[in-house]
Amino acid sequence: MLQLNELEKKYGSFEAVDKINLTVTRGELFGFLGPNGAGKTTTIKMITGLLSPTYGNILLNGIDVWKKPIESKMKIGYIPDQPFLYDKLTGREFLFFSGGLYELPHNKLKSNVDEMIEQLKIGSWIDKRTEEYSQGMRQRIAIASAFIHQPDLIVVDEPMIGLDPQSAFLVKKLFVDSVKKGTTVFMSTHSLNVVEEICTDVGIINRGKIIFRDKITELHKLKQKHDSSIEELFIELTDDE
Amino acid sequence: MKQILHILKYKILSFIRLDSKLSVVSIIKNFGSGIIYTAFAVGAFYFAKTLINFLLVEVTVGQFLLHEFISMILFIFFMSINIGNIVVSYSTLYKSAEVNYLITKPVEPAKIFTIKFLDNFFYSSSTLLMILFALLLGYTFYFHLGISQFLVLVLNFIPFMVSAGSLGVMILLAVILLANRYGVKRVAYIITGGYFAVIFFFFRINSPRHLVRTVLRHYPFVNKDVYLDDLIPSVIKVLPNNWLSQTAYWTLHGDTYKVVLFTILQIALATLLFGLAYYLGKKYYFKTWLVNHKLTAELNSDRKKISRFFNPNSSTDIASQVKSILRKDLLVFIREPSQVIHSLILLFLMMVFVVSVAGIKFVGLGNFYLQTMIYLAIFIFNLLLITTLSLRFIFPLISLEGHSFWKLKSAPVSLTKYIFSKLYATALIVLFISLVLSFFSNHKFGLILITFSLIVTVIATITIVIINFGMGGLFANYKEKNPIRVSSSQGASLTFLISILYMLFLVVLLFKPFSELFLSIMIKRDFNLLRLFYFTLPMVLISGLVVAAFYKAAVSALRRDF
Repeated sequence: MLQLNELEKKYGSFEAVDKINLTVTRGELFGFLGPNGAGKTTTIKMITGLLSPTYGNILLNGIDVWKKPIESKMKIGYIPDQPFLYDKLTGREFLFFSGGLYELPHNKLKSNVDEMIEQLKIGSWIDKRTEEYSQGMRQRIAIASAFIHQPDLIVVDEPMIGLDPQSAFLVKKLFVDSVKKGTTVFMSTHSLNVVEEICTDVGIINRGKIIFRDKITELHKLKQKHDSSIEELFIELTDDE
Repeated sequence: MKQILHILKYKILSFIRLDSKLSVVSIIKNFGSGIIYTAFAVGAFYFAKTLINFLLVEVTVGQFLLHEFISMILFIFFMSINIGNIVVSYSTLYKSAEVNYLITKPVEPAKIFTIKFLDNFFYSSSTLLMILFALLLGYTFYFHLGISQFLVLVLNFIPFMVSAGSLGVMILLAVILLANRYGVKRVAYIITGGYFAVIFFFFRINSPRHLVRTVLRHYPFVNKDVYLDDLIPSVIKVLPNNWLSQTAYWTLHGDTYKVVLFTILQIALATLLFGLAYYLGKKYYFKTWLVNHKLTAELNSDRKKISRFFNPNSSTDIASQVKSILRKDLLVFIREPSQVIHSLILLFLMMVFVVSVAGIKFVGLGNFYLQTMIYLAIFIFNLLLITTLSLRFIFPLISLEGHSFWKLKSAPVSLTKYIFSKLYATALIVLFISLVLSFFSNHKFGLILITFSLIVTVIATITIVIINFGMGGLFANYKEKNPIRVSSSQGASLTFLISILYMLFLVVLLFKPFSELFLSIMIKRDFNLLRLFYFTLPMVLISGLVVAAFYKAAVSALRRDF
């Protein structure tokens, strides 16, 4: 499904992402972990076309994301860490705008918008301008906009920031349900409990290098072996000292 | 004071750091900026000298009329700074994240008010100050004045600008307080009407046409260089623009007493207005900040349902990418008050210009050189209006995507389609306005000249639009939400200067054929109008190269990492 080959991003002499290799297969809910500044957001931005790699490539269903960006982006839904929306648009207008970028037939778009409003319990806020929204409400709109064209791959950067427990529950359920339907989710997060709870696979990046990549069950085994919590294990794995 | 200096220190630090990132691109960019700024300053210097020479030697208006024209230009300048400061101050004093941050800290609101006032004044006026210095130098050199006289003029100019800015910010405070009592819309209508009335009555009382006629009626019995004090209405004499033009006039004539008198008046007025603005800011800034929040919340809850045209549910066909981007841009535009107000003001000015220019007599003045100059002056003015429109509405197009640009950048939209969607509507409107301006400037001539002018206008407009779009991409600032600040940034100033250089190229190119045309009209000799079209070839070539270069700049800017 998603293949990162020798992927590298350099800023001058600083290597934010250092020739990483990673494969995520169809139907996985992949948890991408790492401390601050490890290279998670940079990797995600390269997958979604916001940052160009300095070396290596990204294949989505065998298609190079940077060589055939239009074709690839049709299959990706992206949820950024900061849900910036056009302030003067209402939530509904933003969702229709997003759907229009994927050239969906109007009736299909309308039913998808209604479905997302229902699933994420956005309610009457949908017709208010997004400049009036709280961080959590903005996040819900950004999440809805990523699902609007029913993509094969959802790329999420820190989805739980600003969400109240009820919204966090809805979002987790949305990810799990979409994975059951065959969608792949690539999720970067700091919430280790979220990874434990919903992810099928996990990868850990530190200082731009992948230091762990396996099934979540293997992480659980490792945890038992070391007789520690996932938090302690994560700290141990990413500790540079 | 210590706290103000502390905040200013870190503001300067962040400003310097933002612009001192060393890379090949930034070095080339800064070097290029330096060359163009210098070229423009030199251009403004020679422009001032040539224009004064033209008015005094060719048209022989005399020193009195020259300084009265300067006074009128200064009035427009004063109003521009004043209105500009109201608009910019509103977004920086009431809507900026920096103010929201400082308000939560133990900083007196009056200090925030002072910091932001200075910030607005110097940030938005830096290019203007540079042009002014160059124009003043041109004036100083033409009349062979010394360095001390130049400094006297500068000493008068700065308080003149401070007065305009201080008055603007006081009006803003009053508007918010009055809006709380009488409603936003009612106060907005009254203020807008008030400004139009002031401009209307200024030119009604101080009509340039009437002044010129009165002076020329008594010529040669009246020396056109003598200051004809009686001809100036008494209300005009108490305006700072008149003091400034009189300072220049009396500096020229060596009347130290009057120069000192007007300098004192100018500085006293600026001190008084700035002091008053500070006092009102200290007393009312925080109150108006809270009122503004309340008014914004009221406006949000009172907002009516959107019309069917904009309702995304009402469409039935495929939601195409171009249509989606166009609809989004239109909604964002009409919901941003500063965009709508500025568009209306500019459209009003265009209309006034079209009505004025439609009645100008180009031929039969008995001086073909003068006719050519007037024709080209109007041509430049048309292009200046187009440049202003482009700078205000095309240049910020990419920046105004803001941080929300992630949606478009991560969507399957090709760059060509994106650029087309962004330029399609705005460029068409600018093109339409430019054609209207061109038509009414030329409608008294034959079909061939009208056609030629329309072709030239189309080429020039497309070029200016693409220059602005490309530069807007190169200097994109996604952090700035205020379109006015985007279009008054360093990049925008540079764009303006590049557009001026392009316009000068056109004038140089068109001077010869048009002077020949007007000469043939004067001596009643045949002139093959088709000859004019030969000059379109170099124009098309150069414009094509400029368009290609700036289009490429836009594409590479859009490909940059986000």
